[in-house]
Amino acid sequence: MSVMLTKFESKSNRVKGLAFHPTQPLLAASLHNGSVQLWNYRMGVLVDRFEEHEGPVRGVAIHPSRALLVTGGDDYKIKVWDIRPQNRRCLFTLHGHLDYVRTVQFHHEMPWILSASDDQTIRIWNSTSRNCIAILTGHSHYVMSAQFHPKEDLVVSASQDQTVRVWDISGLRRSTPNTAPGTFDTFDNFSTVKYVLEGHDRGVNFASFHPTLPLIVSAADDRQIKIWRMSENRAWEVDACRGHFNNVSTAVFHPKHELIVSCGEDKTVRVWDLTKRSAVQTFRREHDRFWVLAAHPELNLFAAGHDNGLIVFKLERERPAFTMHGDMLYYIRDKYVRSYDINSGADVGLLSVRKFGSPYVPPRTISYNPAERAVIVTITSDNGLFELTALPKDVVGEVKDSSTDGKRGGGQAAIFVARNRLAVLNKTSQLIEVRDMANSVVKTIKPPVVTNEIFYGGTASLILSSTSSVVLYDIQQQKTLAEITTPPVKYVVWSADGSLVALLSKHTITIANKNFSQHTLIHETIRIKSGAWDDSGVFIYSTLNHIKYCLAQGDHGVICTLDNPVYLTRVKGKTVHCLDRSARPRTITIDPTEYRFKLALLRNNHEEMLYIIRTSNLLGQGIIAYLQQKGFPEIALHFVQEKKTRFDLAIECGNLDVALETARTIDRADCWERLAQQALKQGNHKIVEKAYQQTKNFDKLSFLYLATGSTDKLTKMAKIADARGDPMSRFHNALYSGDVLGRIAVLRDVGMHPLAYLTAKTNGLDDTALEILEAAGLTEADVDDVPSFGTSTLRPPPVVTTTTDLNWPSISTGESFFERALANGNLEGGSDVPYINGHDAGVAASSALDEWAKEEETQDDIAADEDGWDLDAGGDETAPEAEKEDEEEAEEDLGAGANPWISESELWTRNSPFAGDHVGAGSFDTAMQLLNRQFGVVNFANLKPLFVSSYRSTHAYLSPTASLPPLQLHLRRNPQESSPSKVLPVASRTLVSVRSELSEGFKAVSGNKLSEAQTIFRSVLQALLLVPVSSDSEAKEWRDLVTLAREYLLGVSIELERRHVVTQVDPENVKRSLELAAAIGVFAKANNHATAAKFARRLLDLNPDPKIVAQARQRIAAGDRNPRNAVEIDYDEFTEFEVCAATYSPIYKGSSAVRCPYTDAAYLPEFKGQLDSLLQLTEIGAPSSGLPAPRS
Amino acid sequence: MDSSELYHVKQQFTLGAYKSLVDLTLPDPNSPDYTPTLIYKARAYIALDKPPEALQLIPSGSEDVALKAVSALAKYIEADLGERGGDSVLEELRDLCVEIEGDDGDVDEKEKGLVRVLAGTAFTRAGEIEEALETLGAGTQHENLEAVALIVQIYLSINRPDLATKEFNHAKRWAEDDILLQLIESSIALVTGKESYSDPHSFYTEQLANPSLTSPHLLTARGVTRLLRGEVSAAKSDLEEATTQLGGTPDKETLAALIVAYSVGTSKTTEADQYWSQLKSQYPSFPMVKDVERKADLFDDLASRFEVPPLAAAS
Repeated sequence: MSVMLTKFESKSNRVKGLAFHPTQPLLAASLHNGSVQLWNYRMGVLVDRFEEHEGPVRGVAIHPSRALLVTGGDDYKIKVWDIRPQNRRCLFTLHGHLDYVRTVQFHHEMPWILSASDDQTIRIWNSTSRNCIAILTGHSHYVMSAQFHPKEDLVVSASQDQTVRVWDISGLRRSTPNTAPGTFDTFDNFSTVKYVLEGHDRGVNFASFHPTLPLIVSAADDRQIKIWRMSENRAWEVDACRGHFNNVSTAVFHPKHELIVSCGEDKTVRVWDLTKRSAVQTFRREHDRFWVLAAHPELNLFAAGHDNGLIVFKLERERPAFTMHGDMLYYIRDKYVRSYDINSGADVGLLSVRKFGSPYVPPRTISYNPAERAVIVTITSDNGLFELTALPKDVVGEVKDSSTDGKRGGGQAAIFVARNRLAVLNKTSQLIEVRDMANSVVKTIKPPVVTNEIFYGGTASLILSSTSSVVLYDIQQQKTLAEITTPPVKYVVWSADGSLVALLSKHTITIANKNFSQHTLIHETIRIKSGAWDDSGVFIYSTLNHIKYCLAQGDHGVICTLDNPVYLTRVKGKTVHCLDRSARPRTITIDPTEYRFKLALLRNNHEEMLYIIRTSNLLGQGIIAYLQQKGFPEIALHFVQEKKTRFDLAIECGNLDVALETARTIDRADCWERLAQQALKQGNHKIVEKAYQQTKNFDKLSFLYLATGSTDKLTKMAKIADARGDPMSRFHNALYSGDVLGRIAVLRDVGMHPLAYLTAKTNGLDDTALEILEAAGLTEADVDDVPSFGTSTLRPPPVVTTTTDLNWPSISTGESFFERALANGNLEGGSDVPYINGHDAGVAASSALDEWAKEEETQDDIAADEDGWDLDAGGDETAPEAEKEDEEEAEEDLGAGANPWISESELWTRNSPFAGDHVGAGSFDTAMQLLNRQFGVVNFANLKPLFVSSYRSTHAYLSPTASLPPLQLHLRRNPQESSPSKVLPVASRTLVSVRSELSEGFKAVSGNKLSEAQTIFRSVLQALLLVPVSSDSEAKEWRDLVTLAREYLLGVSIELERRHVVTQVDPENVKRSLELAAAIGVFAKANNHATAAKFARRLLDLNPDPKIVAQARQRIAAGDRNPRNAVEIDYDEFTEFEVCAATYSPIYKGSSAVRCPYTDAAYLPEFKGQLDSLLQLTEIGAPSSGLPAPRS
Repeated sequence: MDSSELYHVKQQFTLGAYKSLVDLTLPDPNSPDYTPTLIYKARAYIALDKPPEALQLIPSGSEDVALKAVSALAKYIEADLGERGGDSVLEELRDLCVEIEGDDGDVDEKEKGLVRVLAGTAFTRAGEIEEALETLGAGTQHENLEAVALIVQIYLSINRPDLATKEFNHAKRWAEDDILLQLIESSIALVTGKESYSDPHSFYTEQLANPSLTSPHLLTARGVTRLLRGEVSAAKSDLEEATTQLGGTPDKETLAALIVAYSVGTSKTTEADQYWSQLKSQYPSFPMVKDVERKADLFDDLASRFEVPPLAAAS
């Protein structure tokens, strides 16, 4: 019994009819209570309701291309609705049926509506003319369903009369019939019963066509589902699916796979294999009988209606199993493991997993191990299985099936935790097994929490997901390192450098650092599908309908909307790589500006912010609000043109200049007031003054002038007040400016003579006081009873510092990076700040996984050698009994009395006929014998350093355990080779290294350092003695190198000898010229024309006879033409003689010579048995076998 | 289960981070971790060929068999390094081994195991392979992973990787994928070369990424592994990094590996010769030095068996 993958569920009255929208995530449901609902099943919202039917509505359908809905109800009516939200309404109603309407359907191309009714008829209506155009009669009971054929002019109907009928309606298309209402008799001519399918024992509830094959499926009250096949002229029952134990309501073909899905009153939804007719899956509900089932025409989506609502479900997970490694995506499509190179787009099938688990269930997860180039695939069938398989190195032809060498086991989750370890979770027993590559358990862990999923957690760690938390768990120490409370985590995505991890739950994302010490949680209302890290450390994720981003500190936002869910695999710059729901790789181009900008803001990366500001044009209200909210109003200021916002921002960040400027343009009182307030706070009284002036706030203005000690302005204010005729203001100003006369004048003007008099009096202005009295018609005597107040001390405070012209100094708030950059017109220039997506760290992958990922190049698919003593660990499980015996046998050996076996060195000597290998193995004895036999070497004294250093370089020493003598480790020539019969020591000298040494010698020659050259050539020849060869071509190269080195050595030796002789003895000119001629030949043969030419010039110096001169000149010319020594020139005039390496005299062709058994240098016969003079190694003329044949 | 601190100490010891171990401050003497930590520290000194410091660390007159064994091993190695015979100390260790066999109950299994390991170490150094294997309980049912490590190394040193693998497979059943078990697995692969040395390579690479310790030994080990894999230049960089971590003076194993790294596949032996003379003068008793010297002597002897005729020369 499987768990249904429910996408959406709703509670309602009994659902009798269901229809999917072909392109949008909409589902129409008709209910028993007469309502028709339109759901958006992706968002889970009820989009609309259509409630005009009376009584239950059983039939519902959505038009395949237009925004139309048709319903048919128990009120005998068929209604057609416009479902566009702006003009939703019932377009028209079709009357005609005489009983309940069971099903309705739109034709896929014609304007036809098909309906089935309990009045035993099937009707076809023309939705344009809104007339009934055909009535199909023949059923003798309720017609429970009628469906158009998806392509042909056929209708299939199911009836309670126990038959399924197929109707031919081609006549209807040929001639549009008379559509005049009421003329029923004309209809029948156009439609005929083609087949009557009998076989069900009870009433048939539903019948439908296969989308492509000539098949019909029917569901009946006899609890059976029958499959029928049609040919041109007949139709017959193919088979029946038995299993429902109550009436089957609906059965439909799966639009993509060879499956049938059915539902029934036994409260089950069942899935059947179309070819085997066997039950595949059963989903059971406790209480709800199922009444209707609908399949989405395109997607892997079904809807089923039951007693209390409806469910939308998938038969299989759509999320493809995938994993990223670097830029390679490994994923599974149609049960094939494939790799996709996101750089080149190369998409290759690597491995079939068709035989793994149930054939109907796609694999759930894949984990990739780059070092072993192996994958672990898990599947949910059979209670959870995993399979460990190596991927082929390169696929040629048919890909192999994983069943051939895959190692399997049970478990709900399985991942690689290290190069050679995998962890397998068993949910029921709550145990995590750590297994090695041979699939044997090396360790068992009891997780500290009830674990539903396990993920890679960094080196030697696991992330355990439980229902309420995730745990970072150290495998070695078996302890919990950290725990975060979160909803159940379903997926885990590590950033490229392994420093951050995103834990994805259904509706939350937790971004944590690698030891879980810091984390942030993001909530989403829509289901989260997948995510991937941008190279710059931004997490990009997809929900059902959006691609969004999330910064490490928790800010998130929408990047773009999606029509269909995708599964993100990798984000590179502007490109999002993803898999769609059918597991096909695709890319989406996004605009990363917003999150890049926010990231730059977070990291205070002003250059980049500036760069983005310069080059992008997005930055709308959202970003401004964001900046404001995050406390960066001064930055936001730069993006705003709108005056009001600009003013608000300027006030917020205290940028008075901008505020003043915008306030001027806005020129509204409240702006000036706010500006005044802000300016006052900052002590910029000039702006305050301006603001007050603008708002005509005289009181405040006066007080401001008082505060700043600006007396002349106060005077002005007084005049203004006078002009305004505002005595209160005049009085104020007079008071502020200490203008007593002014004050008195005001008081007198307003008729407050007593106050005016007293003011004058107390300020010692007796004359004025008298004047006032007079004006009031009084004398001093009249005011006798007024007490004497003495002299008033009321004075405006003296001005200590004149601040009128000074503004309070404030810390520069403006002049930010941006202002400078923007003010300097830097916007255009200085664009050398390219956006760098990501850190270098991302490349220098620090996580261990990536570390061991890097060296897989050297892996070879040489299987572990079974022969010899290297017991493969895999043997343990394949033959447990045999192993037991083995063990007992071994028991004798295992223990104190273990005898040493032969050492690797000894194997080396056994495996090689080359002296060099014997030297490497330390077997100098046999090496010398070999050299003696093969090359006649007798004088070994000169070879000692070579022997010792060769031997020295074949062994390393390491003690893994404290204080023990180190192990002697043997450097092998081929690290991939571990078979004892093939191992060879590393070659301390190789042809390559010898050749490079030889070229040093060439350099010495052309640099005229001949004695140095002589040493080098000698050393080359010595080294060549110990160079092993592995193929015939190498052997030939070896021989060529020996010859080349020998000829050079000979030439150089001759020249050295000549110089030695020439300086002393001249008369031997003739003989020398011959020798030089020989040397020329030697060099010419070695293609060393430059040197040959040099020798030829020397020859000319000796004035030899004309013929030789001519030849010498020729050589010089050749040398001039080819000053470098690489070009072959066919030249053989001088091959007629050789030079004796001891005397440097010519040995003409045909005369006898003895040779050095190693270098093949020629000697005059008299030297036989003596030590060769060139190298001083071999006995001249000794018998020798030469270089042994290489062993392949 | 060990405490977290002790686990860490043990991990450092296992992975050869001796240097950081000897710099460790001991826990409170009353802590249950005190003695085990002390022992690890002393053993780290011994591993660094500094037995006198180890001896200083150990309280004299302790009745603890493990401590006694550690001090005996220190004394033996001191004698061994000084090229003096340490037979009397070996006797002491033998006595200790006999002592723990007695069932007097106050010695727990862990301590017994430790004594065996320490005695086994001494015996192996003395060349008493058979005795060492017996003491360590090779081929018997025991659950002493350190002993397994020793046994495996001994088997490997006598070219019996088959037996080493068997011992390892036994241990796999109960050792729970301990880090030491992984080390053992990688050691075996170092000798057999199974799957191009991928086990040791990944093991050392993984442990180098282990954030809880730094050990130049791991770098050296990976360098050696890379040498074995034929990745000479990568090996060189590892070894040089190890040298830097060691404060500029490579230890003997690093030196030995450097010599190899600088002499494989090149005609220039200047660096190699320089390292060689350094190794020869600083660690004359290092097996590589001894072995190569012996071969050089052998060479002269062997070369003299060939009769050298007179040089061909123009008269």
